[in-house]
Amino acid sequence: MKTFFKAIGNLFRKPVTTRYPFERTYIPNDYRGVIAFDEDLCIWCRRCEMACPPGAIVFSQDMEGKQTYHYNRAVCIFCKECVRICPKEGALIQTNQPATFALKEENINNGWNSLFDEAIKSREAFAAEKKRLAAEKAAAAKKTAETK
Amino acid sequence: MSRQYEIPVGAQHISLLEPLHFKFTTENERIVNTTANVFYVHRGIEKACCTKFKFRQVSFVVGRVCGLCSISHTTAYSQVAEKLIKIEVPRRAKYLRMLVIELDRIHSHLLCLSHVAENSGFEALFMKTMEYREAFMELLEAVCGNRIQYDFSIVGGVARDLSARVAQMIRDRFKIFKPQLDELVDIFQNNWSLSLKNKRAGAITVKDAMRLNVVGPFARAAGLAIDVRNETEDLLPWKEVGFKIVTETAGDVYARNLVRLREIYVSLRIIENVINGLPESALITETKAFPDGEAVVRLEAPRGELFYYAKGNKTQVLERLKIKAPTFSNISAMVEGFKGNEYGSVPAIIASYDPCLSCTAR
Amino acid sequence: MKRIDTSIENVKNEIRDFYHPGLHHFIVMNAVDLGEKIEVQWFFSNYTEPYEITVFCASITPDVEVPTIKDIISSAWVAEAELTDLMNIKIENTEKGFVLEPDFETGPLRKKN
Repeated sequence: MKTFFKAIGNLFRKPVTTRYPFERTYIPNDYRGVIAFDEDLCIWCRRCEMACPPGAIVFSQDMEGKQTYHYNRAVCIFCKECVRICPKEGALIQTNQPATFALKEENINNGWNSLFDEAIKSREAFAAEKKRLAAEKAAAAKKTAETK
Repeated sequence: MSRQYEIPVGAQHISLLEPLHFKFTTENERIVNTTANVFYVHRGIEKACCTKFKFRQVSFVVGRVCGLCSISHTTAYSQVAEKLIKIEVPRRAKYLRMLVIELDRIHSHLLCLSHVAENSGFEALFMKTMEYREAFMELLEAVCGNRIQYDFSIVGGVARDLSARVAQMIRDRFKIFKPQLDELVDIFQNNWSLSLKNKRAGAITVKDAMRLNVVGPFARAAGLAIDVRNETEDLLPWKEVGFKIVTETAGDVYARNLVRLREIYVSLRIIENVINGLPESALITETKAFPDGEAVVRLEAPRGELFYYAKGNKTQVLERLKIKAPTFSNISAMVEGFKGNEYGSVPAIIASYDPCLSCTAR
Repeated sequence: MKRIDTSIENVKNEIRDFYHPGLHHFIVMNAVDLGEKIEVQWFFSNYTEPYEITVFCASITPDVEVPTIKDIISSAWVAEAELTDLMNIKIENTEKGFVLEPDFETGPLRKKN
């Protein structure tokens, strides 16, 4: 019988729903947000790429040897494994900003898959080129040592 | 001689939360026979964990097997990986793991109770229980960072610490929640129209429970006193923080509701003891070893006993991982429990079994 | 964890002598691919002794038929149905098709060389 009166009373109370996105929800200070990268402190060891579970970080390399960092906020699961394993403190930190929505122009799914494959191939191409130059140099050094 | 009809409660049904399929043979609206078909959401997780992911990344993969018992899977996998690489976690990490396991148990039991109330026809009680559950989702977001897929246990320890502000938030919320829980127990126990639908429905006896190897609140409501928290003291100290086992004797839907409500009281006491006596130590043990050998771990998820077996071969990738979910053991008892019941009480009986098909057909 | 290694012919008699419905609890059945052989395992626990887990292990080649334990433990049909589909081993009185669709490749959990 008590529930019957409570149910009638509920007709006159306001609902408990939070009207998101017209009202903001509460974001605490230690919220799990997107990862920020500081290029000056990085030592390019690539341990974060090996530790990331879904594969959201990748490094590509151009022919002079300079590496570039790529990060995808839609694949990331905000688990902080990359921050824990980085040997240099401060190169990778987790902010408390939520990830923004991805628009169709960014092509964040198929574009990321092809970017990932190209980055791995560019690293292999640089390593093959370095090996070829080192083999040429060794052959040239051997030739000059024989002619002396 | 009456005719027999075959009625399917299909993979998609308006009252089911999970993709199950039962085919009932009924005679005059009483169920005579049942067959079950359960593997609709097989995703191949065991194969992926042994070929594509390294052993430290597997704890994040395994946490996404189920949405309601996510912390049980990550903690059980972390414990079996720690047995393979032979390390011990620090003391503060053990107590924090127990805190999140009990918070998860409370929200899962409240979800199951609200679903039973909805399928018995009492929609106002369904909405009231869901409103009380919302406080726990906010507490879990403050502790772990996420409402459902908390990546909280990692191999070696836990990922986040408990600050004093969050501990005070938990204590304040509990003061508001305890009178609300007393009100819910009063309604589930004494309301006359709810008991018409729930008493003597879907009952099994103690002898059947022992013969069919049933686990979880399904077994405890029939009188079989098994709980993995009674049996594993070496990895997580349950008895030290005040764990007590809860049983009933009737074995029907009414008894299962009471078992779940009483387990919420036990969980509230465990959480208060953990917050008041948390020891100081590090959070993670670091090591560079590779997994080797084989190991076995059991843990009490909200639905029963969860079992993990892992085998390593000294490389970064595991050789074999076997997961046994609690609903996997309960399938043959679910089929037995329908005999002799009316066809109209089938949705309430299925909701009281608390099936979790994502864990079963990983 | 107590490990008991037997042969595939004796394992059903040993389980029948060992299992008692009021005392033991059947957890699950498992199979590990070791390359040329497959090791099949049966896990049991005890209602009265904590921490005691007993494992019966038997190695077979992939074409040998594994005896069923459905007549001793009636709830084991789910574990046997899952293993016939996923590991592609033969178990007595068990049909394929409970887990995977008929036109899917069989034995996805085996190692592919």
